[in-house]
Parts: sequence; C-alpha cells; structure tokens
Amino acid sequence: MRDFLSVGLPVVAIFALLPLVYANQLLLFNFVLFLILAQGLNAIYGFTGYLPFGYVGFFGAGAYGFALAVMHLAAPPALALLLAGLAALVLAMILTPLLRLSGAYFAIANLAAAQAVYQVIANPALQDITKGPYGVSLASVFAPRASYGAALLILAGVLALVAWLRHGRFGLALQAGRDDPVSAAMAGIPVVSSRIIAWLISALIAGLAGGVFAWHISVFYPETAFDLSTSIFAIVFTLFGGAATLSGPIAGVILLYGLYNLIGISVPQYFQLIYGALIVGLVLFLPRGLASLLQRRGVDVP
Amino acid sequence: MAAWQKWWPGLAVFTVVVAGVLAGGARADEAPADIKIGHLHAGSGPYASISMPVYDSLKLWVEQQNANGGAFVKAYGKKIPLKLISYDDQSNPGTAATLTNQLITQDKVDLLVCDSGSVLTAVSVPIAREHKMFLFDPTGTGAAFFSKDNPYIALLADPVSTVWPRYLWEFLKSDAARLGAKRVALLYSTNDFTGTQANSIRAALKEPGSPVEIVFDQGVPTSTSNYSVLIDNIAATNPDMVLELGYVGNDIAFLRNLQESGQKFKGVFTLYPGIETNVLLKNVGASGLAGVFSYVTALGLTLKPEIGMTVEELRAAFEKAYGEGGVEFGWNAIAGHVTGLVIGETLAHADSLSQPDLRRAVFGLSGKLKTLVGTFELRDDGAQIGELTPIGQFDAAGKIAVVYPPEFATAKPVIGAP
Repeated sequence: MRDFLSVGLPVVAIFALLPLVYANQLLLFNFVLFLILAQGLNAIYGFTGYLPFGYVGFFGAGAYGFALAVMHLAAPPALALLLAGLAALVLAMILTPLLRLSGAYFAIANLAAAQAVYQVIANPALQDITKGPYGVSLASVFAPRASYGAALLILAGVLALVAWLRHGRFGLALQAGRDDPVSAAMAGIPVVSSRIIAWLISALIAGLAGGVFAWHISVFYPETAFDLSTSIFAIVFTLFGGAATLSGPIAGVILLYGLYNLIGISVPQYFQLIYGALIVGLVLFLPRGLASLLQRRGVDVP
Repeated sequence: MAAWQKWWPGLAVFTVVVAGVLAGGARADEAPADIKIGHLHAGSGPYASISMPVYDSLKLWVEQQNANGGAFVKAYGKKIPLKLISYDDQSNPGTAATLTNQLITQDKVDLLVCDSGSVLTAVSVPIAREHKMFLFDPTGTGAAFFSKDNPYIALLADPVSTVWPRYLWEFLKSDAARLGAKRVALLYSTNDFTGTQANSIRAALKEPGSPVEIVFDQGVPTSTSNYSVLIDNIAATNPDMVLELGYVGNDIAFLRNLQESGQKFKGVFTLYPGIETNVLLKNVGASGLAGVFSYVTALGLTLKPEIGMTVEELRAAFEKAYGEGGVEFGWNAIAGHVTGLVIGETLAHADSLSQPDLRRAVFGLSGKLKTLVGTFELRDDGAQIGELTPIGQFDAAGKIAVVYPPEFATAKPVIGAP
C-alpha cells in the first residue's frame, strides 16, 4: 500500500488535474490508457516472466465486448465496461492452455491467437453482430469526460493491484515461481494455478482498458482495436521502465510515450528513425530498464 | 464643484481604462495575421497512396493563394494569408485521433480538414463534433459519417459511397445486360469505401425484374495481395462480368494476377484504373487495362470549371511543383485541389470565422459551385451527391472513353473485349 500511496496515487491525481491546464484530453487519455496497459502487462510479464506479444487481443476483445453490449443490449457504459472486462476474461480462459508453452513459443502463439480473434471480429459474415470490417459507431454513449474519469478509476485500481502484487503473499509466490518454478513448487507454492490467476488478472485489465477506449473514441474499426502497435508499445514501455516494479512502467510510459508524441508531432519525418534507434539502444545497453540503474546501487525501487 | 474636483482624477482613470478595454475589443475584431487550416495526412502506411496526393495538392493551392496575397475573407473584407498546419498520422487511426485533438485544442485552427479515406476520417468525425468544429472531409465517403443529427461535416471531393456506383449498376442492368453480360461476379475489399459500394450494387442488382444475376459474391480483406485462387474460384462460377472493387494496391494485384492466370471474362470492372490512371498504367500496363471498365473521373472528362483550374492546368502545376518521381498526379490530387477551392469559397462567403457561419457558407455553395469535378452539391446531412462518376472503358492504348450514361458517352461499350 505504501507504494501505491507514494507513487500510484500522485500519478492518478496528476492525470486528474492535467485536463484543467492542458486541453488535448485525448492525448492525456492515451497516456492513462498506456499506463493501464503497461501495468496489465507488468502483472503477467513482470511477475511470471510470460511475455504476451498478442496482449492487444484482450484489449480488442474488451473494446468489442463494450461495443456489443452497447449495440445489442443497449447497456449503459458502466455495465458495458464490466462486460468488456468479462469478454477479455472469457478469452483468457479459452487461451489458458497457451501457458503450457514458454519463452518465444508462448509469445508467438499468443500473437497468433490475437490475430485469430481479430479475423473473427473483422469477418464480413459476422457483419450483423460485430459490424465486421466496417467498424462500429457508439455515438449514443460518446462522453469523453466521463470515459476519462472511468479510465482514471481503472488506473487507480490497477496501480493498487500491482502495488499489492509487489509485496503481498500472492505476488511473492508468483515471483518465486518466475525465478525458479521447481523450487517454488517444492516449497508448496501452487505455481500453475498462480500463473493462471495472474494471466486472468492481466487479461481483465486489458479488457477494461479496451472497453474504456471504445467508450472514449466511440468510432473505431477492427484494425484500430487490434492494432499490434498497442502490444508493442505496452511491452516497450514496461521493459524500458523496468518490469516487476510499480514505478518502472509508469516512467516508461511518461518518458517514451511523451517522446513519441513530441517527435511524432514536431518532426514526423524522422519519427521512425529516432524512435527505432532509441529502442535498439535501450535494449542493447539497458535491458532491464531504468529501474535497474537504481537497483544496481542498492536502491529499492517502488 | 468641490466634489467634482475630488472625483475627476478617478473618473479620468476609469475613462482611460474603459477606453483601453474597448480598444482591446476592437483589436480582437481586427483581421488575424493568417487563417490557420488544420489538416492530417498519412506520410507512410497503407493510406499514404491516397492521402499524399490530397495533401500535396492542398499545399499547392495554399501556396498559390499566398503568392497572390492570401485568400479573400469576407468576414474581414480583405485578403489574408493562409497557414496550413498538417501533421503526419502515419496511417494510424489512434495517432490521427490525437492529432485531430491537437489541431483543435492546441493549434486552435480556424478550419479543420481530416485525412483521406474512411478509416482515418472516422476518428476525426466524433472529435470534431464534440468540439463543435466543422469538419472539411475531402474523401472520407463512409455512409455512417453522415447523419442529420451531426451538422459538423461535409464531404467535399468524392460522392458518398452509396451514391457513387449509381451509373455502374444502371450500366449493368441496361447496356451490359443487353450485350450479353447477365452473370456477374462481385469481389470487393471489406472496407467502408468499397464495402458500401458493394452493398449498393448488390441491392440494385437483386431488385425484382433485374436482368442480371450475381453468381459470385465475396468480400476479402483490404490487405489481400494475391488474387490467383480467387480468380480461379470466380472462373468456376462462369460469370460474364467480373466486378472487383478495391483500393489501388488491390486493383493492381487483381489485374496482374488476372493477366498471369490466363482466365478470360467477357467484361471486367475495377475501381481505380479511372481514378489513379497513371499509377495503374505504370504497374499494370496498357495491355493489362485494355477492355477494362472503370469509373471515369474528371481525369477522363472535359468539364469546364467555373472556378479553379482545369485538369490539364492542375496537372501541369502539380508536376511542376513536385516533379518526376514524386507523388503521382491522379484523382486524389484533384480532390485536394477541390478541397482548397471549397475552403477558398467558404472564406469568401462566410460572415465570420465561427463554425456555424462556416457551415452555412459551405452549404450555401451547394449546387452553385462548378469545379473541375462537376457540381458541388450536398445532401442535408453533408454527403456529397453532385459529382459525376460515369462508366468508361480502356482501349489498347491505355485511354479511357465514357460508355455510360448515354448523354456523356463518347464510345460504345464492348463486352468480350480482349
């Protein structure tokens, strides 16, 4: 809880106040969205070592869960958000067998699964249900301020959860299973079931993020909701800041997504070159993220 | 008297302050140094091929206006220079959404122009509406953007997707059927632009009494780049006429694969040869286009504009500005020019730069503005319905001639052409 109060709560408070001084609320919303996604990825990668390249699959499932709830059930946004989380949760349960794989095999299989879900959603034959490739319009529930507030609430919950994972019994069990699964199992830790719970938590977070994204943007296409760059950004931000910490992914999002927008808006012609070179440099020279710079000096990074 | 003497210094200060405030107010009504036009373009990614010609042509129009002292702005009764602020969204809808917000909230542009194509336009529509900002939509033709409860959008340079194929289905049900093309295969890319056209065509061909039968009907992802198997599948249904509706890349791949496959159909219609003719000729060749039907845009018509340049004048100016090896001149470059013309006429007619006045001015142009693409005409919901898209057929030399409707026809359609 100490981590949440010292790091998480100030971040939420800052993003709650920023719209009063900065009018591009969509940009702020994107920051909040990536803060949620980076922490969601942190919950599975940072604490179990499983890196899901197809993390966007849960995000897209959440976005479409929200859209389907609004379009077919006329659900109010709050209920649709819960159903968005539920959609991602159901997808994660279906994909649970993927956890039998590990390393690159898990990453690739997960990516393929996300693509499969995308193809199903975008299938013209399902146009009556999902609107197929023609995208959805949720103008009836479009409410940028309310959806921004909902995103902040989700962020607060996610930060509190990750802070608990860092020091709580369950989080420590996950980390033990990540570092040495055999020893952890011999010590009585239910490694497999713990991993599955972390997987479901991570999917739920992405689903809620997808739902609030659908609510905020209101018009989108399958390729927007299942855009692979969403996964890549969340992974890069988490790795850059430092996984298994609360502050690492936050730093990653603020610095890298800030830089992304700065370069993207001011010198877009050099964007891919600068951003690509930066990522390569970081992976080569700072593979464990910014947090490792402090941890090497014995600092306990929250 | 004594009281007046006591208060007059205070009155004097008050008068000066009030005068200063009023003078400040007067300055606020003075003409701005420039009129800011906010725009998005895709410098890379799948939509760059349709977005960059629009951007380059709009930029050219702005430069031409500024070379003459700017655009005439009725609200200030004089010419004012234009400033085009255009961001690169890299074909990413998320980035396009953020940048649309950036243009409205940070750059505080006077006029907002969205990117090309329906996917990138879609994200700007609700944002513009939320900020009560009128959206100048160059080519985003998705029917879902236009509704009577959204007064903040107008489609400028392309007919809305539901109206666009009107001449095509009329042609299929009349001349083509009369010439023996009664079995039609419909292959389309599943995106807003071509998907909506396919729906309209399908509905028209299935109307009671239609002489045409659809024997193949399939949507494929817009990313499809190999049509070989699809062409064989189509051939197996024995159609007379094949309609392939896709973006530039789809049409190029389809026509190349068709040549390689050796399959022959009595008639083939594809969407882009008449729209981006130069690109198709370079990639498919005149032999690959011989006999192919397509839409005829301003490129193949000789419409006399009442405002702006003719197609040939624009082509010369575009090629002079961007030279060989740059973005190809085609329909989208024309769309960029039309966007500029509508903006110019809007500024020349709007009583102020407020968004409701800009909207009134744009809708006031409906039916009156005749550009190189025909008559600018808006439906109540902002959809473009005035421009012509006749049907043409390519000859062996790569030239397209109008074959339908009869009032514009310069040649007779040939079914069974090589």
